Amino acid sequence: MTEPEESLITDEHRAKIGVKSEPRSVTVNQEDAHRMRDLLGDTDPRYADGTGVAPPYVLSGLGVRPDRNLMPQVLPNGLLTQIEWRFFKPLLIGATLQAVSSVIDIRDRLGGRYGYSVLVMTQTEYLDESGEPVAASLQSITQFDPKGARS
Amino acid sequence: MTSRYFEDVNVDDELDPREELPTEDKAIDFFGRDNPTNPAFGDAEAGRKQGFGGALVPGLLKMAWITNYVSNWGGPDAHVQSVRMAFRRPDVAGNPLTIAGRVVDKRKENEQNIVELECVTLADGQPSVRANVQVALPSREG
Repeated sequence: MTEPEESLITDEHRAKIGVKSEPRSVTVNQEDAHRMRDLLGDTDPRYADGTGVAPPYVLSGLGVRPDRNLMPQVLPNGLLTQIEWRFFKPLLIGATLQAVSSVIDIRDRLGGRYGYSVLVMTQTEYLDESGEPVAASLQSITQFDPKGARS
Repeated sequence: MTSRYFEDVNVDDELDPREELPTEDKAIDFFGRDNPTNPAFGDAEAGRKQGFGGALVPGLLKMAWITNYVSNWGGPDAHVQSVRMAFRRPDVAGNPLTIAGRVVDKRKENEQNIVELECVTLADGQPSVRANVQVALPSREG
């Protein structure tokens, strides 16, 4: 893709900034925690079966992604380029968390590996049954058209 | 696994490097086989169609490795509080990754003993991920 003369980000895309998703339930179960611990070779006794606690990285693998309906789709492909996770409380096995996401920014990026691309920044907060934050993530997704990739 | 105490940590301390071999199976198993994700994670051809050199290593798997790396270094009383990562280059399944880290700051903050580390994943000697990790360590003073 050649670089466009003007931004492909429209007012319709920008209107999605700040819109919060409906809460989505995420349940931390023993099976997922066990699988991920095994995969990583994690032998930390705090997270062993029966302790009732999962390692914090388990949350990242449970598949809560920004709601597709809330994500501005400017270019066809997306690649995670930056991420920040903050962990406030232990991740309890059996806990059902409510994940609420929103887009916080969208901007053009000129040049780079994929030529013209678009950065979409999202945040997701994970709340426990008392409404207290357990974890939060910030993600930057670079949207690109693979036809614009530089070899 | 032994505890690492705040007082025993110094700025510029280096962590022992760790090697990981990312594979398509690990990528799929990380998210779970019944949890659909980017097809490029488990299929080299799909990765190539998206402009990569093969199956893409998920960023979240690399984040899990780095979180676990720092948590292991800190021991059973350490608590990873935050992980911030910039993905500089895509990693492709089958290429070994070396994870390395270094202490860049230590401070007391809100009655906690915070140590900050810079970590990288190296593929063919080149950084593919740069990460900043904050971990709270126990104190010998209790």
